[in-house]
Amino acid sequence: MRFRVRVLLLLAGLVAAVLGVMLLVVNWSAEREAIAEIRDRFDRAAETFQNLLDRQFDHAAALASLLAADYAFKRAFADTDALTLKSNLRSHIDRVNDAAPGIADLLVLVTPEGDTRAAHGRSEAPAANTRPFAPLIARADARDTDRAQGCVWLGDRFHKFVLVPMLAPDLVAWVGLGQRIDDALAADLGQRSALDVVILRADGRPIASTLPTGLTAAFARLAPAAPAPSARPPVAHASTTPPRAVPHQTLDLVGERFLVLRATVPDFAEAGASVFVLSSLDARLAPTRRLQSLLLLAGAGLLALALLIALRFARSLSRPVQHLADHTRLIAAGDYDTRLDLRRRDEFGTLATAFNAMSTGLAERDLVRDLLDKNVSPEVAARLVRDGAALGGEERVVTVLFADLRGFTPLSEGLSAPDLVALLNRYLDRMSAALEAEGGVIDKYIGDEIMALFGAPVAAPDSADRAVRAALAMRAALAALNRELAAEGRPPLGFGVGINTARVVAGNIGSHRRLNYSVIGDGVNLAARLQTLTRRPEFDTDIIISDFTRAALLAPVPLRDLGPTPVKGKTHPIHVHAVV
Amino acid sequence: MTPRLLLPVLAGLLALAPARLPAAEHLLTLTDAKGKPVADAVVSLFPLDRPPPPAPPPPGLIIAQRDGEFIPLVVAVRVGAAVRFPNEDRIQHHVYSLSPAKRFDLPLHGGDTIPAVVLDQPGVVSVGCNIHDWMRSYVVVLDTPWFARSETDGLVRLTAPAGRYRREIWHHRLAKPLVTELVLADETPLAETLPLTLRRDRHPVRRSLTDPGSSY
Repeated sequence: MRFRVRVLLLLAGLVAAVLGVMLLVVNWSAEREAIAEIRDRFDRAAETFQNLLDRQFDHAAALASLLAADYAFKRAFADTDALTLKSNLRSHIDRVNDAAPGIADLLVLVTPEGDTRAAHGRSEAPAANTRPFAPLIARADARDTDRAQGCVWLGDRFHKFVLVPMLAPDLVAWVGLGQRIDDALAADLGQRSALDVVILRADGRPIASTLPTGLTAAFARLAPAAPAPSARPPVAHASTTPPRAVPHQTLDLVGERFLVLRATVPDFAEAGASVFVLSSLDARLAPTRRLQSLLLLAGAGLLALALLIALRFARSLSRPVQHLADHTRLIAAGDYDTRLDLRRRDEFGTLATAFNAMSTGLAERDLVRDLLDKNVSPEVAARLVRDGAALGGEERVVTVLFADLRGFTPLSEGLSAPDLVALLNRYLDRMSAALEAEGGVIDKYIGDEIMALFGAPVAAPDSADRAVRAALAMRAALAALNRELAAEGRPPLGFGVGINTARVVAGNIGSHRRLNYSVIGDGVNLAARLQTLTRRPEFDTDIIISDFTRAALLAPVPLRDLGPTPVKGKTHPIHVHAVV
Repeated sequence: MTPRLLLPVLAGLLALAPARLPAAEHLLTLTDAKGKPVADAVVSLFPLDRPPPPAPPPPGLIIAQRDGEFIPLVVAVRVGAAVRFPNEDRIQHHVYSLSPAKRFDLPLHGGDTIPAVVLDQPGVVSVGCNIHDWMRSYVVVLDTPWFARSETDGLVRLTAPAGRYRREIWHHRLAKPLVTELVLADETPLAETLPLTLRRDRHPVRRSLTDPGSSY
């Protein structure tokens, strides 16, 4: 996989992972919070309901008490005239509903024994042979309370009733005010608890609900089975009992998740009705879902941005690497002149600088090699490059050639220094070419004198032959140069060449800082001395070789024997020959 | 015991005298469930073997309205008694009874201006005041000369000729009268202690007749 792609995938993966984890965390914590909040409301719901019911009971009881205290009402009750009593009830319920609209759906007059004497209101009166209020009154008697209250069924309508005693001056009857339990009450309960409320009959049929009909029906089918109506706690008012922590349930109603709790409302439970509080988890999480969508959108944008940045970054990484690779190929091909310019201040910039330094170094090495080739003979240079500039030496048989320029002094008169050097170099160039053509190594130039070696540093069995051939070539080259000089109107040049073959010490000679490959020994001095012999007119030759050289020749060369000749620095005469 | 309250008892005793029958005594101690003496209970004896003696001429009975209360709270009378309701307060009262034994309605009145009410039917007449809900009085109208009301010591002493009786005990906090049959014998007083199960008194608390702090 390409580096750029890997960087891209890594960055994109990181961003996606961070985003995913963030969404998960948001989801988890939001759901937890929502459930905690709903549970908190659940915890208070039962108490809220009982408080509301108690307040409503109190209110109804206050109104019923006013009716019960009405003297005419008492008299009407004492009279057996049912019609008058009914009429009285009618005007009373109207008065009550005028004072507190909707509070009374039925006004009843019940004997202390629980028989309904009269009833009036929009709700159905209790059937003739039923005594729906008897249990309420019995309870009030048993509990010794000022009033009787609770829930009763009138037909298939669920009502809450409060009954207060009619005193004349003793209890003669109970005056009861009843209100239907319907969606309006559920809505009131729901609003106070900030929850949804569903009230179900013991048989599971809905009585009242704040949910839409479809959801109510769905809930009625799924609702937890109603427990047996629990007895009221043995205290006067249920509201004083602390709300119990009841575990809630989670239900799926038509695809919506609801948390459900059965609220403990004794007034309802006694009549076999269950109050459920619900809260839609999904509705509560809706703001979070919106936030998550936003996060997702922002995340997608961020991912795109990250990819773009990653792309650029990857390119900014891979491009200099590519450049470096290309540059490496250039250097491998020997191009040390091209410089890498990445225009960067980072590690790649440093690397580029290092590359350039390397190019410079390589170029310098080549230059040094080139200079070496020029300053020492290519053979010596090659040997130096191969073996290193080791000090030390070896004995070997070499043929040493000395060539000295003649007639240079008169020629140089009237010449400027550059012209002089140019002329000298011209001469040395021709001579050197002749020497090198025969494998001779220019050991050094000593002014206008040339010292050349044959058989060192590379051993050559025919060093004497090579040296003599080189001398002849030099003679020819000088003649050619002289023709040029003559054409230029300059006086001719002459030279003298001495050649000797001897066993010498060869090696890199000098200090650590400066070395010369050279040879030392008597044989070298003799070659230089033989060169000076060419000045002697009686020998009439420009090339003199020693008898050692002649003996080393493999191929015959026309020579003129000059006989043993005393040589300066030598105790015995040296047998020399002139090369014809 | 005030002389007024003694009247019905004396009337009973008087009714006994002409019969010249040997007198038997019945002593009853009434307590509540906790053993505390119960006052204002009315115990009456109805002879089972003979008719009750004829009622004497109706005695006068007074239930006063004093300081926003009916005085006395409980009174037992023989059928035919006439009750006057003199108002001793500065404010008026509206005295009524919706009891089946005697219904009457004495609209707002002051002083002793209204005629006496004749209680011609046996039964309990609960008397109230329409404008003062806490005011009440119970008149137990009996068709027998042998009855008595318990005092604060819960003690009832009845003297009647020996014989079989239906004993009725009434108290306004009893759910219904307690009825027993008993036999009284000469020279051997029948003593009994009877705990009563009393209901809660469903009754409004007494309030000031007018503004608090002002006198009336």
